[in-house]
Amino acid sequence: MDLSRILIVIALAVLVAWYISYGAARLDRLHARVEGALSVLDAQLVRRAEATLELANCGALDAASALILAGAASDSLEADSADQSSREAIESDLTQALELALGDEALRRLRADEIVGTPVLQRVATANQRMQLARRFLNDAVTDVRRVRRKPGVRLLRLAGHAELPQTFEIDDELPMLARGT
Amino acid sequence: MRIGIVSPYSFDVPGGVQLHVRDLAEHLISLGHFVSVLAPADDDTPLPSYVVSSGRAVPVRYNGSVARLSFGPLTAARVGRWVDAGRFDVVHLHEPVTPSVSVLALWAVEGPIVATFHTSNLRSRAMQAAYPLLRPSLEKISARIAVSEDARRTVTTHLGGDAVVIPNGVFVQRFASARHRPDWEGTPQRPTIAFLGRMEEPRKGMPVLSAALPEILREIPGLRVLVAGPGDPDSIRQKMTPQAAAACEFLGPVSDQDKASLLASVDVYVAPNTGGESFGIILIEAMSARATVLASDLPAFARVLHGGDAGEMFRNEDPADLARAVVALLRDPVRRDQLAAAGRERANAFDWSVVAEDVLAVYETVIFGASAVRTATEPDSRWGRLLRTGRNNGGT
Repeated sequence: MDLSRILIVIALAVLVAWYISYGAARLDRLHARVEGALSVLDAQLVRRAEATLELANCGALDAASALILAGAASDSLEADSADQSSREAIESDLTQALELALGDEALRRLRADEIVGTPVLQRVATANQRMQLARRFLNDAVTDVRRVRRKPGVRLLRLAGHAELPQTFEIDDELPMLARGT
Repeated sequence: MRIGIVSPYSFDVPGGVQLHVRDLAEHLISLGHFVSVLAPADDDTPLPSYVVSSGRAVPVRYNGSVARLSFGPLTAARVGRWVDAGRFDVVHLHEPVTPSVSVLALWAVEGPIVATFHTSNLRSRAMQAAYPLLRPSLEKISARIAVSEDARRTVTTHLGGDAVVIPNGVFVQRFASARHRPDWEGTPQRPTIAFLGRMEEPRKGMPVLSAALPEILREIPGLRVLVAGPGDPDSIRQKMTPQAAAACEFLGPVSDQDKASLLASVDVYVAPNTGGESFGIILIEAMSARATVLASDLPAFARVLHGGDAGEMFRNEDPADLARAVVALLRDPVRRDQLAAAGRERANAFDWSVVAEDVLAVYETVIFGASAVRTATEPDSRWGRLLRTGRNNGGT
């Protein structure tokens, strides 16, 4: 009787230990995924801002559009990456600036200039597309982490340790006029 | 880049996913990347040099159709060896929730994983039942790709999160340069239409076409129906009226080259599929071959055909509407030519050169993310090293 009770206690302890180590490893892997995705997004946002600066300085745009673009791009480059909500606003502004600057007439002129305009426009399109990819992968990872961290066992045992609860990165990043096939 | 690609379906029989995997692999190799494909295949099946067999596949009914899958401890061990030996920068799994090699690879891989979802009709019951088991390994996927908006919707409803849409690719030029075969070309008296696919599978739409044939033959008695694909012609003929059966010519399974020639030669290519198509690559192949396409109005087909600009559509599962559309097209060569030209133009957007660029962008994104974390967490713990040496000793 006593022996079987001891065995049950041991079995339970092993089970709990396994759950803790397994849960911690799972969370660790998820946090690593978020961290990786975040650094990709960071790099792609910088690349997009740099491509926008190039576009502003390529000479094919009017001076006012160029100034707006250059302003939005340098805001993005100087943004504090630790303050996410202000960064989201700045990046949305950059998308909007691109949308305003790339009207039909400007696009036509850029595409007509095959030496400077077309490649610069291509760089902006590529940078924006890759930033969209990075953002979507980050948000997927964040959703996964948040779901696992909501689980009662994980909360009770504090398996997440001191890691901050990650946030999805929400900005406007659609530039339909640069989409393929247009 | 060292890329590992996993196909859950056997290479013994052709199918949408296998063809996608093969074409993607060949295109990436032509760009200079190292690619290894892991897929089930029988021992005596001739395989391209870049394909590694994960063992024999058995036919299993899953997700509404019979698929040749491979699983079990022996397969799992082979998958583990392939992963270890490949030293891949990224592993690209196709259909990761199919009970076959992909899900085994998902367990085995430690590095960055990209997954592509092809299906738009994930069986939710099987998914829900196995969910607690699958969930943690699905979390290892860094990037999810869906081949269509429908497949993406399936991902978001069943798995949560999101996926980027990258359509299937086609080597447009292979179909565009297909030779016409006079014996498959229609004449004004004897026009030809083509059906492609496994004819005994109801969702490929053979029953709809069979039901429409008597009406079409009343208007156009000389019609020839060329049916290509695996299946038993007699079982199909039995369900037809004698006149309809007499109008059908069964070509059996055809080679890729003959498929292209067939699509290029016939007057109208008919795709009466009733559902389960998330993408409709066959429509793009037909458009590349400059065929006039007539397809059921499934959402996926409507998207490929650009809402009907690049091909005609009829009401899904409606034989009367199919008959009407076939007759109208066969009587209007100008309209046929218009649609064929628009389709050929539309097909360019799905060429592998365009599609693979998007796939590579995804690879680069996840590889960069993984390397950023790896450099940040170096040096690794004694525990991690211990685990890894244990795995290598046991695994090879």
